[in-house]
Amino acid sequence: MKSSDTSQTRAVALRAIDSATRDLITDAKTVYSIPELGFNERKTAAYVQQRLQSLGFVVETGIAITGMKAVLQGAKPGPTIAVIAELDGLMVPTHPGADTETGAAHACGHHAQIGSMLGVATALSAPELRNALAGNVVFILTPAEEFIDIQNRLALKASGDLEFLSGKQEMIRLGTFDDVDMAMMVHTSAGNGSVLLSVGGTSNAHVSHQVKYIGRSAHAAATNYGINALQASMLANTAINTQRETFKESDVVRVHGIISNGGASVNAVPAEVIYEGRVRAKSLEALEPIAEKIIRCYRAGALAMGASVEIQSIAGYHGLIQDPTMQKLFIENAELILGRDSISVVGSTQTHGGSTDMGDLSTIMPVIHPYANSASGVGHGHDYLIDDYDRAVVAPAKVMAATVLDLLANDAQGAREALAKSRPIMTAEQYVSVQRGRFKTDLFEPS
Amino acid sequence: MTERANIKSSLSSSINKRADELERIARDILEHPESGYREARTSKLVADWFRSNGMAVQSGIARTGVIGTFDTGRAGPHVAVMGELDSLIVPGHVHSDSETGAAHACGHHAQIGSMLTVAAGMAESSVLNELSGKISFMATPAEEYIELEYRESLRESGEIEFFGGKQEFIKQGFLNDVDMAMLTHTGAETPGTFGVGGSNNGMIGKTIEYIGKAAHAGGSPHLGINALNAAHIGLAAIHAQRDTFRDADTVRVHPIITKGGAAVNSVPSDVRIETYVRASNVPAILNTSEKIDRAFRAGALATGASVKIITNPGYLPAKYDDRLTEIYRHNAGSLVGGDNVIDLNHSTGCTDMGDVSQLIPTIQPTANATTGNGHGVDYLVENYDLAVIKAGKAMGMTIVDLLAGDGSKGRKIAGTFKAPMTIREYLNRMRSFRSEATYTE
Repeated sequence: MKSSDTSQTRAVALRAIDSATRDLITDAKTVYSIPELGFNERKTAAYVQQRLQSLGFVVETGIAITGMKAVLQGAKPGPTIAVIAELDGLMVPTHPGADTETGAAHACGHHAQIGSMLGVATALSAPELRNALAGNVVFILTPAEEFIDIQNRLALKASGDLEFLSGKQEMIRLGTFDDVDMAMMVHTSAGNGSVLLSVGGTSNAHVSHQVKYIGRSAHAAATNYGINALQASMLANTAINTQRETFKESDVVRVHGIISNGGASVNAVPAEVIYEGRVRAKSLEALEPIAEKIIRCYRAGALAMGASVEIQSIAGYHGLIQDPTMQKLFIENAELILGRDSISVVGSTQTHGGSTDMGDLSTIMPVIHPYANSASGVGHGHDYLIDDYDRAVVAPAKVMAATVLDLLANDAQGAREALAKSRPIMTAEQYVSVQRGRFKTDLFEPS
Repeated sequence: MTERANIKSSLSSSINKRADELERIARDILEHPESGYREARTSKLVADWFRSNGMAVQSGIARTGVIGTFDTGRAGPHVAVMGELDSLIVPGHVHSDSETGAAHACGHHAQIGSMLTVAAGMAESSVLNELSGKISFMATPAEEYIELEYRESLRESGEIEFFGGKQEFIKQGFLNDVDMAMLTHTGAETPGTFGVGGSNNGMIGKTIEYIGKAAHAGGSPHLGINALNAAHIGLAAIHAQRDTFRDADTVRVHPIITKGGAAVNSVPSDVRIETYVRASNVPAILNTSEKIDRAFRAGALATGASVKIITNPGYLPAKYDDRLTEIYRHNAGSLVGGDNVIDLNHSTGCTDMGDVSQLIPTIQPTANATTGNGHGVDYLVENYDLAVIKAGKAMGMTIVDLLAGDGSKGRKIAGTFKAPMTIREYLNRMRSFRSEATYTE
């Protein structure tokens, strides 16, 4: 199957998106103006729900608290493709778009994803395109891609509102993806140079650690009676830093953390310190031995001071595996629609060190997660801003819509080919079981 | 009293006649420094001197220790005058041995001088005939608690049990019939003064061995376990304990790395540390020791290395006897003027005189005759008259006060002294400090 076979339907889609450009950019900017943290995206969800409804969709809401799903049924049965957008903002209080109360800000460009997803929904809703599809397209709005705000999410887990701490993880568990065969989304980036889109590459697997050091408080002027939990945490950090020489570059290890509670008051020996750590590596296999080294360091900090430490390991993300067949179609469409120099390809093992729960989805189905170079500043920084909404919203919408058409038109030959070649590394059921196994709590007390 | 004054006068004049010889001996020892349990030359020099001055001599005690005794033949207290044979190791000191780095950067050569000075005074029949009891001159090995691995090897071969020379003297029974002891250390307080009283920290010693796994440091550091990093964490962890040390306990913990890795391009797999844990009292030493062990274990745990911690008995805190101090103060004052006898504060250094002080009335006054920093490259005895001659006279005159006539003054002090522990209790206590454990966590 060639992309040119769908030139007619592609042209319809592109025209639909072109005529909706102003609306789509308004959508993105509206979402930018109401940034919300993961699992709290109520205003954002309400806005997107209303937009999807105005396009004629029936929207299933409240999946994993704030997630949504809308199905576009093709004329004939066939595989189901998900087009995904992430609802949540980051926590960057100094960002110009930050919510002054919560500090939430769209410093990762998720608002542009919503614009481009609505662009695909707008285009494919046209009856002549729907009639060309053998299979369904589902639009899935996922909460909480940013793996942050862990304490609050653990509270939601404790109250039974969540089991896993990110949107796609939770939606996999809830069966939201059970009727989905493949998925795609486009993320913004602030890459160098003018190439608009990039595809390929992987992302890191990660695990989150909630580390609670428990010492003994005492007047800081009579420290001999105390056990200093902050010293325990700082020693652990020192110990972690000495491990860095043992990390192989090829494992793309990242270890970083924050102290979210560093002591109650400066004139008392800190009796409780909470360190929130993150360990990343290219795959779960690479990650696990490194996470064990880091846990050893937490224990060492406690041992040295005679403190206790409780280490809660929280299942994070898996490395991203991108599907070569879907990727090839995406590249062909980018070249057709945006020009030959519009897209670059990075090697399948290349990673920039970050992590995404698209990685989790990629363990159970073929996915692609290209980037649209449309922002300036530093990702997750206070200066990360979308400079060009045409590049961030409109161009990705066009290439995704055309790629969906290539997959599902012509009796879904494209999608069937991709699925035939694809070998997901586990089933959804296996995934849920793996993730459950990654949650553990270790308690070490002074011997 | 007049009689005592006469005896002291005879003592002084007999010392004065030999002052040049006594200072020369101290300077000779300065030029031939030997570290603990290796003081062969110094030991022989002292033994020969004892013999040629008519003393009964026992030598080879704990390898190099020597005792020379004058017995008046009359019943009375037994007083020990001590001098330490050993030097430090301070390469770069002006008088260091170019091969071994040994150097008398703590003034022990002057102690031998002042001890022999007392003996020179007592050798005079007009002195000894007026006294009762015995006077033993004890040249003790290894006061500096250093070269722990070497001493551990002596321990393993059964040559010594304790790392301090006076401890070996105690164990071998040489203090069983000794009633009181004195030693003059050099000091760097106001020049020309004697210091009296004071106290010293006690300590234990530790040797720490981190065992990791060697690997190419450039090619495959991920295959190694870095014992130096384990040590680094252990040391950082020790420092994190410091805010828990009470001022009153005057805790000192000061490790050195005696082996830091074999080659820079190999992940260090064998790293050794020595440290002391010092404090003013035994409970604080033991409490701190637990914290230090925990800290060293943390280094091993963090890196996946194992650590062997050997703890050895060190020295007990020193508490000097008030009544002996007052007698000594009076005599020292007669030599340099009362204003030039100053009271010492608590010292955070340690000495095996501390062990002696737990058993019998003991003093360790200082002759402030040096310049520079103790144990440093610039520590030099400048005033040999004070450090050797006057120090010897002050001790000798104190012995005259204690042993004159029937030795009643000495008897009274010895008879009413409340010893913190017996020699048996002392040995049990010291042995209880020894521990050896390997942690792989």
